[in-house]
Amino acid sequence: MLDEDCELLYLSDRPEKLILEDIPVPPMAVRPSVLVNGGQSNENDVTSKLKTIIQKDWELLQIEVAQYINSDVRGSPQNQQQSRPLQGFVQRLKGKQGRFRGNLSGKRVEFTGRTVISPDPNLKITEVAIPILMAQILTYPELVSNHNIEKLRQCVRNGPERHPGANFIRDPSGTMIHLRFTSRKRAADELKYGHIVDRHLEDGDIVLFNRQPSLHRIHLRFTSRKRAADELKYGHIVDRHLEDGDIVLFNRQPSLHRMSIMSHRAKIMPWRTLRFNESVCNPYNADFDGDEMNMHVPQTEEARTEALTLMGVQNNLCTPKNGEILVASTQDFLTSSFLITRKDTFYDRAAFSLMCSYMGDGMEPVDLPTPALIKPIELWTGKQLFSVLVRPYAHMKVFVNLTTTEKSYTKSEETMCRNDGYVYFRNSELLCGQLGKVTLGNGNKDGLFSILLRDYSVHAAASCMNRLAKLSARWIGNHGFSIGIDDVQPGKILKDGKDDQIKLGYKACDEIIQEYNQNKLNLLPGCDSAKTLETRVLKALNDLRQSTADVCMKELHWRNSPLIMSQCGSKGSPMNISQMIACVGQQNVNGQRAPNGFIDRSLPHFPKKSKIPAAKGFVANSFYSGLRATEFFFHTMGGREGLVDTAVKTADTGYMSRRLIKALEDLSIQYDDTVRNASGGVVQFIYGGDGMDPAKMEGKDGEPLNFKRLYFKIKATCPRTRAHLNLSPEEASNFVKERLSSLDGRCSKKFKKSLSTFLEGQIHSLKTTREQFLGERNSSGCNEKIAANISGITLQQLQAFLEICITRYHLKKIEAGAAIGVIGAQSIGEPGTQMTLKTFHFAGVASMNVTLGVPRIKEIINGAKNISTPIITAKLKYNNNVKTAEFLKGCIEKTILGEVSKSIKIELTSRKAAIVIKLDKKTIQGSQLGISADSVKRSILQHQKLKLKDEHIHTSDDGKIIISPPETDRNKLHFSLHSLKGMLKDVIVKGLPTAQRVVINHDEKKETYELFVEGTNLRAVMGIPGVDGHDTKSNHIIEVEGTLGIEAARECIINEIQYIMKEYSMSIDNRHMMLLADLMTYKGEVLGITRFGINKMKESVLMLAAFEKTADVLFNASFNGRHDDIEGVGECIIMGIPMPIGTGILKVQQRVEPIPNLAYGMDSLIS
Amino acid sequence: MADILFEDIFTIIRMNPDGKKFDKVSRVEVEGEHFNTKMQLDVNTDIYPLHDNEKFTMVLAPTLSLDGTPDTGYFTPGGRKSLADKFEYVMHGKLYKISEGGSGPNVTVEVYASFGGLLMKLSGEPTIASKFELDQRLFLLMRKVG
Repeated sequence: MLDEDCELLYLSDRPEKLILEDIPVPPMAVRPSVLVNGGQSNENDVTSKLKTIIQKDWELLQIEVAQYINSDVRGSPQNQQQSRPLQGFVQRLKGKQGRFRGNLSGKRVEFTGRTVISPDPNLKITEVAIPILMAQILTYPELVSNHNIEKLRQCVRNGPERHPGANFIRDPSGTMIHLRFTSRKRAADELKYGHIVDRHLEDGDIVLFNRQPSLHRIHLRFTSRKRAADELKYGHIVDRHLEDGDIVLFNRQPSLHRMSIMSHRAKIMPWRTLRFNESVCNPYNADFDGDEMNMHVPQTEEARTEALTLMGVQNNLCTPKNGEILVASTQDFLTSSFLITRKDTFYDRAAFSLMCSYMGDGMEPVDLPTPALIKPIELWTGKQLFSVLVRPYAHMKVFVNLTTTEKSYTKSEETMCRNDGYVYFRNSELLCGQLGKVTLGNGNKDGLFSILLRDYSVHAAASCMNRLAKLSARWIGNHGFSIGIDDVQPGKILKDGKDDQIKLGYKACDEIIQEYNQNKLNLLPGCDSAKTLETRVLKALNDLRQSTADVCMKELHWRNSPLIMSQCGSKGSPMNISQMIACVGQQNVNGQRAPNGFIDRSLPHFPKKSKIPAAKGFVANSFYSGLRATEFFFHTMGGREGLVDTAVKTADTGYMSRRLIKALEDLSIQYDDTVRNASGGVVQFIYGGDGMDPAKMEGKDGEPLNFKRLYFKIKATCPRTRAHLNLSPEEASNFVKERLSSLDGRCSKKFKKSLSTFLEGQIHSLKTTREQFLGERNSSGCNEKIAANISGITLQQLQAFLEICITRYHLKKIEAGAAIGVIGAQSIGEPGTQMTLKTFHFAGVASMNVTLGVPRIKEIINGAKNISTPIITAKLKYNNNVKTAEFLKGCIEKTILGEVSKSIKIELTSRKAAIVIKLDKKTIQGSQLGISADSVKRSILQHQKLKLKDEHIHTSDDGKIIISPPETDRNKLHFSLHSLKGMLKDVIVKGLPTAQRVVINHDEKKETYELFVEGTNLRAVMGIPGVDGHDTKSNHIIEVEGTLGIEAARECIINEIQYIMKEYSMSIDNRHMMLLADLMTYKGEVLGITRFGINKMKESVLMLAAFEKTADVLFNASFNGRHDDIEGVGECIIMGIPMPIGTGILKVQQRVEPIPNLAYGMDSLIS
Repeated sequence: MADILFEDIFTIIRMNPDGKKFDKVSRVEVEGEHFNTKMQLDVNTDIYPLHDNEKFTMVLAPTLSLDGTPDTGYFTPGGRKSLADKFEYVMHGKLYKISEGGSGPNVTVEVYASFGGLLMKLSGEPTIASKFELDQRLFLLMRKVG
């Protein structure tokens, strides 16, 4: 073979070398033999395989050698039924436990701990309580210095067995040998059998020496600790026990996002569990039903600093998924806050002061506010207690301003809401509203803690959470809160109400069933009668459960514990409560009512073909009243589906997350604002289109700022004084224009525009108010003042507002080095685990199903060529007319001959044999298909398999088509007629062959119509006259790419993922989708996040080997002579070097003297 | 006498117009005799019971001290003589919102205050709001008449 040919075949070396001539035999360290008792040795698989290779005869040698490398290779004689295939080299490398994934990408580490977790509201949110037993084993190497020598001496004296002790002393200078010698001698002297102990020590020393070859360690168990302490010098390193304030990393599996591992401050405590504040349960997704968590102790000062600043709880209060707060109050904290802030909680001086001291352990200064009620007796309200909690003393410069609406808000009346559901904090005073999850809980951008975090500092938010945790834990401990059987006993009114509702619901269902039986049912678009029945009955039953739930919620006393919990959002929903008290409701399997397990019925307790609610899984009883046998059975069916679903989904999402991470792991922000992969390829020119950090976004839908809130805050915190000038609308708008025009280019245009439109709106409302008060009457000073009080703004306020907006906008830019790829992958992968059930969804019309959930995300991410429910949404040029919509539906929908013909018959007479088709004029006209006998003839002629010619088909005007077959052989004629008849039925006479079904969607609000086309071929649908091609979309990414191009495909990916997330009401910053879509499309074609796609995206052999198909990747790499620059994250981890991402993005350059050229060979004798 | 921001005599029209929601607190809807005023007010009826058709006089003042020393907002108890001596029910709170209601010639002003969560909404002719300022500390003093 020529060398040129080798190059052509992408061979890096001569092909002869691919033939194995010698087999590598690894040293014994690679294949250790294990000694079993009695001197017998157990040989390693590799050794035994080598043995067989030596022993085997020539014929089987090749197979044996192949199996030596990869034991999965077949070909050995079939009779060999080995119990366990021996492990080849490939087996050692591949798989989760293999070398790559198990030992190179992830390693076992020292200085770790794991135990059961439990809650402790008295800890700060940044703390974790570590049991003393753990603290004595986990150590931190502290350098002895002027500042800590006394502390460390005490540690050394305490030794390994007492808590603030130490386990080792290390001496970097090497002079330790002497000390060790003396201490050993001394230890020896103190003991009777000196020489025996001596030998023991030697053993210990060797073990330790192996671990730390460069440093000598002294094991403090064996030395005289007092002496060692005295001899402690600066520069020694003491491996001391963990102490309060040490930094530890805390982790709970599954680590789905970066908040699953955060750094806490250690707090050494007795007993045996790891404890932390319940507020931190959310990011870890932990509860205390037996969960265990892991702990790691960073061993260098650098690692600690990095852990503290990057992974600290206080720096991870918000999720980068969407900027919502994640560390926030949960469960009992919400319940007690809810009860404390109830309108009719009043406290006298003693109770109020006591509660004030609860929140700070009585150690914080508290300024008592003036009681809300002064006469007839002094009483403080619970809301005042919350004002104290947010701002305990006058010197604290925290002025929270926020308005939110809690669950109970009546949607009108604002602050005067009758349920007290409108929360209003003004300058850290709680003016109204009963606090619940929206204000205090996680997953909100306008909650109390979010605002403290954004407007003030991390510290303000964290300390407020600490105070709340302490207050509520103590308060609820005194108050008591539990649930009992009487909480779920329905009263008389409730029982009657429920019975009435059920009677009504059953009646409605019976009516529908009766209509169905009499065939009078009005069909829903795109459904047959059975489907219509199911949808309507299902809806009726869901309404029924809802109405019983409403009755239930209305009739419960406000003291009912489940009710309180559901109202404040700490646990449970109204549905859960009504299931306990009133009615469990319909049980679904696969989105349908209980299926038939027997012939025509679900269970033999019911008559056949019964459609009544009870026979199809409706449970009318409550958990309190108890389920009947059939109801119980149906309930288990629904329950099992849920269990199976979660089990399957965890595996699916886990794999999906892994693929996402592998594809996105090396993307990071560079100093030129671009997003690049490790090899420098640009994925985005500016991250997310504006270079903003998703974790810092304050507004809805990823807007950087919430102007309304800020404006409100500024107006409240910069009060109008006499000296401040009230601006007239003109003055204000001039000022705004001036300031905005002087903005530098670092603000995006979008931001500028949104800021100016917001301010225009505010100025407009100021104008209208002034017109109200000043326009008609004479402008008296009094009215001017009122107008200013209502919506006026001063120059100072406006100035402050603009400056705050602009400076804060700049602070929200994403930092260079951010590993935005991994963050994006986690942000998309993590919500996947929460998407349970509901795999289908009706897109507007009942009959049109769209795949949702994890399966759909998988389709998108894989870049699947065939998706399970392709749907084209076609907008119409004239979208307000049903007729046009119906006409276009006829044009698009696949119509086969069988559907539009009255009959297809074979006519056999003595003279001729033919097939006669009679078209059904009524149907054709009814759905405006415009099919005539001639058009049918054309369609038949175009059909490829029929092979009919023009002369075989005769048409008549009355819609008759006569087809005489070309077959002339009399014997075969009969059969050919029948086969022809069968095929004719399926001839497509109208519409697109790919459009299985078309449904007209009627938008009731806008009075418009659009078409949903179930099927593919976007190009053809767009091309149909009457369809607005500009506004026609498909959910099939590959098809969009083929039809409209790569940019459209990118947009489609973003929209489709966002659509799924919206269906599950999960908000994810659009920037993450953009990054994913950009990664999938930046090579110019849609690459799925699968091994094929990732292969095309990445160059690194090591990373690909660690991902999937380890052996194939490695074989190909050696065959092709690939090299790896070790740039990406995966490769760097494997090689154990710092990666060029995050803090590793910086490198120090140093000027070095060029290395002198070394002359090889002998010095010449004569120069 | 210290400056008083607002004073009027009110008649209770209805108790709890939206149904009784809380055990100790009732929302009363009252109508004033002057300035066309209407008011919704949360009152702790547990310690100060009110009934339909009762009349009371209500005063809103920025401070309780008789010489007009401004209130600090923090609690300084003491046995001094004060404005409260003449009244039966006294609340302390904050004015948090002034807004407009109605339109044209019938324009009204609504003044909102919160007394530690017990709310007041006072609406009437614009003139009633002339003395009020946003974020003002308010004392609400009540005494039954007739």
